[in-house]
Amino acid sequence: MALLTPYSKIPELNTATVLLVENEEQFQSRLADAIVQQEKDINVNVRLARKLPLPVENSETRPRIDLVVFIVNLLSERSLQAAESSLSHLGPDYFLGKLCFLVTDARCGAVPQERLLSVRRLAASHHCPVIYAEHQTEDGITMTAMRVLTILKVSAGLSPVATTALYLSTFTRCTFPSDFDED
Amino acid sequence: MECNALVVNTPAHRPDTRRSKSYGRSCVEPPSLFWQTPGHLTTLGHRIPTSRRAAKSHNITTKVDPEQVALLIKNEWKLSHVTPLYRFRHTQLKLYSKHLAAFIIAEKQQGVAVEVGVEAGFKVTFSAVLGIAETKEDAETVFIQVHSKPLFSADTPKAVWRGWLTCVNGDPEYLRSLPPDFVSLPLFCSSGPEYLTALVKSWFERTFDCSFGSLYLNSTMLNWLAALWTGCHPTSNIRYLKLAWNMPSQPPLDIAYTVNPQDAWELWNSIHTEDSTDDRINIEEVQLFMNGLEIHFFRHFKIYLSAGTLTKVSTALGSAHHDGKIKIGSSDYITTLLTLLTECALMKTPV
Repeated sequence: MALLTPYSKIPELNTATVLLVENEEQFQSRLADAIVQQEKDINVNVRLARKLPLPVENSETRPRIDLVVFIVNLLSERSLQAAESSLSHLGPDYFLGKLCFLVTDARCGAVPQERLLSVRRLAASHHCPVIYAEHQTEDGITMTAMRVLTILKVSAGLSPVATTALYLSTFTRCTFPSDFDED
Repeated sequence: MECNALVVNTPAHRPDTRRSKSYGRSCVEPPSLFWQTPGHLTTLGHRIPTSRRAAKSHNITTKVDPEQVALLIKNEWKLSHVTPLYRFRHTQLKLYSKHLAAFIIAEKQQGVAVEVGVEAGFKVTFSAVLGIAETKEDAETVFIQVHSKPLFSADTPKAVWRGWLTCVNGDPEYLRSLPPDFVSLPLFCSSGPEYLTALVKSWFERTFDCSFGSLYLNSTMLNWLAALWTGCHPTSNIRYLKLAWNMPSQPPLDIAYTVNPQDAWELWNSIHTEDSTDDRINIEEVQLFMNGLEIHFFRHFKIYLSAGTLTKVSTALGSAHHDGKIKIGSSDYITTLLTLLTECALMKTPV
């Protein structure tokens, strides 16, 4: 079973590719549009997927993926389950700063609190950041696109200042949160 | 550790099990476009309970007047959570009845030409329902009825609105930490016309400086109810277990999933074996139970129920809707149900 690996292809000049994985396929396309419109200086490719593993037919033509974003909608349990099962198809190199979780509807009162805790626990155990997104307003989508772009530029090596692991460690806690039990 | 008003400060010596996160975090956000930010476990230092005592059949009629119990069972109640009431005295219930009646009449007459009609007057009765509260920190339940008094006929007044405030097995530490003038009755159930509910709530808010908010039952709470009620099957026949789901498809799909009680009981029993020594139920067992039901459904219909939301759970013992409406079917397990709801209300109260 082929794992997705980031370093098996040659990077292109001034280009970055991000893969948005979402089970419901609701937010991906709007976020993709916002990302592409935001960025003028570099070429950004946004690929969309429902789940991993990605279809084998495209693997030759697919460019090198610099950042994988799992979009989890907290309103359904299935979203989280699908994200968890897709995690096992990623090569280990992605866990060093090329993966992040995006959570929508975190403030909704109908969502049981345990679901958000499970997402945070999952992300913390893999040392990945969690971004909270608001997907119902234009401003929210633009803001999320900007944040994803910032992380993408670092993951693709296009930022002269930051290296991936160092940068993303500012987003994540390095210790496994035993204070999660108190959360 | 000092407790000021309703704020629990970080104690100087921090015990391992509890830490009070920043009080300001979840309460002072501006109202969002979406649902109210639940001011929940962080402010009270609560943890979401992961295990509970199994439902015990209580013949509550030994402790409570059966007529009053019958009143609780009849209707469908809409739930709200209430912050603690300032200077509410159980001894002054008659006074409160008079004030509330006057308030309702005054509000109704505002801006309306005086009409000699059927509903000329309102009579309000406040009564204390003794025996529902479980621990000594719980305040006694207060039952409120609004009767409409027809002016001319000799009919007996008929009740147009009912409501009750209760606290059953509330978190003892929280209740003890309240300052002496405050009474906490966090769960408010109402049944009747919306305008009367609004009037009663605004009277309470003015008189006791409290605030009301709607209590919505999230899917975890409904899962607990489904599991607890199924566990009651051997002692008191639940007759059916009905779950209603709402699927976010185009067009939205509503699924009503009815399970034979014996089958549901066998599934539950295989997960949580009857053990008389330890009657605690874990959240994992509840999740396994719901997973079992969902997988069974998937096998037949190829629909993932977890992609939708659980909207209603009902058995013969009662029903609970995700919007915060409950119906109590039988008086046997009322204590367990109220304990769960009180906990839910305490968690959602913004202080």
